Amino acid sequence: MNQGQRCWNPYLETLTREELHRLQLQKFKRIFHWAYTHSRFHRRLYEKAGLTPADITSFEDIRRVPKVDKSMLRDIQSKAPFPYGDALCVPLEEVVEFRQTSGTTGQPVYQPDTWQDWEWWSECWAFVLWAQGYRPGDRVFIPFGYNVFVAFWAGHYAAEKIGCEVVPGGVLDTQARILKIREVRATAMMATPTYILGMAETARRKMDIDPTALGISKITCAGEPGASIASTKQRMESAWNAKVFDHAGATEIGAWSYECAAQPGGIHVNEAFFLVEIEDLDTGEPIEAPGRKGRMVITAFDRMAQPCIRFDAKDLVMWEHAPCPCGRSFRLLKGGVLGRADDITKVKGVLLAPAAVEEVVRSIDGLGDEYEVIIDRLGDMDRIKLKVEIAPGFEDRIRSLETVLKDQLRLKTNLGYRIEFFDYGKLPRYAVKAKRFRDLRKESFHSP
Amino acid sequence: MNQIVDPALLAEEASRIRAAAEKLRVMSADFPAVNRNAVRILASVRMIELNLGDAS
Repeated sequence: MNQGQRCWNPYLETLTREELHRLQLQKFKRIFHWAYTHSRFHRRLYEKAGLTPADITSFEDIRRVPKVDKSMLRDIQSKAPFPYGDALCVPLEEVVEFRQTSGTTGQPVYQPDTWQDWEWWSECWAFVLWAQGYRPGDRVFIPFGYNVFVAFWAGHYAAEKIGCEVVPGGVLDTQARILKIREVRATAMMATPTYILGMAETARRKMDIDPTALGISKITCAGEPGASIASTKQRMESAWNAKVFDHAGATEIGAWSYECAAQPGGIHVNEAFFLVEIEDLDTGEPIEAPGRKGRMVITAFDRMAQPCIRFDAKDLVMWEHAPCPCGRSFRLLKGGVLGRADDITKVKGVLLAPAAVEEVVRSIDGLGDEYEVIIDRLGDMDRIKLKVEIAPGFEDRIRSLETVLKDQLRLKTNLGYRIEFFDYGKLPRYAVKAKRFRDLRKESFHSP
Repeated sequence: MNQIVDPALLAEEASRIRAAAEKLRVMSADFPAVNRNAVRILASVRMIELNLGDAS
């Protein structure tokens, strides 16, 4: 096998735009027909909209197909067959994998996969890992608590498929994982940005081990947007002396995107396996022009047991206008996933995205990696408090750090903040999805 | 990018494997060890088909 081949799939990843569009339309028709004929949920949805498979002949027709969101998937789970509900397109005995969403926004959604679907999951991840330089001969350490969440399961299987050697770092604590990386001389790993930074900190402060000397050369991040936030990526890369790459995927969708080795400041959409549409946040109109942020609607063309057709992922994304120097024709989303539509909130009349705060905090030397943003209301006035940690050795520079921090936050978010400084290590550490953003206005609104 | 073999030629070979694996699966209804491995082969063949741009 030619390991110098830059693409996992040199055919699909370099199709012309016209060829890709033709393929996407054919594949959309196929999955629509499959869902219409095999899923009672989809049949009801499409009949209500007056659509049959014969009606799908163009991309304009695709935009008439009703969207599905997470709450709809939750609702159908109360129907037979248990526990998935009537979006299931295959006999229950063909389901071989159970996964579920984390439940951070409500009741978890269960996701059934056949063995073919599971092969497809790892196939999607193989695009990710190959593009990021994983090859046979790599020894990949996965510091992930293997459980009901899909997270790095498919990354594990994809690394095997590529021909890497996989070291599962499941039920080990952080220190044991660091020792195992050193013991087996792992060359790559996959984790959330929060955990990557936390591991480096544990190695340095609690074990007197320099993470840059451990020999990890590449890290794949998922689960949070950090690897596409320049300052967070830079912190991770310098902490480990490794290239850090982003990947975005979701339980209900699949592994739909990847940053490539060129690190172009964005992520490629795997357009041979997925259709990404971007819609205006207010009007719902399609956005084709680069540089305009909108809400992602996504279709997985080849996922069969529980199809994902025009799923409203509530992710904020925007197209990049420049082609990627890597040579792939799959379009780039500039800056990766920019945030969640649900997380964008108005404070003092200004739209605030949590990722913008992270970008500022992690760009300032002298601040730790952790932070928390708390929004509340005093009378009619919104207030934002930002909690940050002082890095060791910077304790006597709080005043100057506060000035820089406030100036940068004002510049990047157009808002003023109350800053609260903490000693290093005092803010919570997270192993999986971090919860650094709290809007107390919403919490009090929902209180009984 | 490097030149690659014509995907249509690869797809032809894949279709022969599919036919053989499908035959194995049907013939092995009473032979779980063969039957379940045939199902796995078919899933792998499907990935080859998808990688060659199959949209049928």
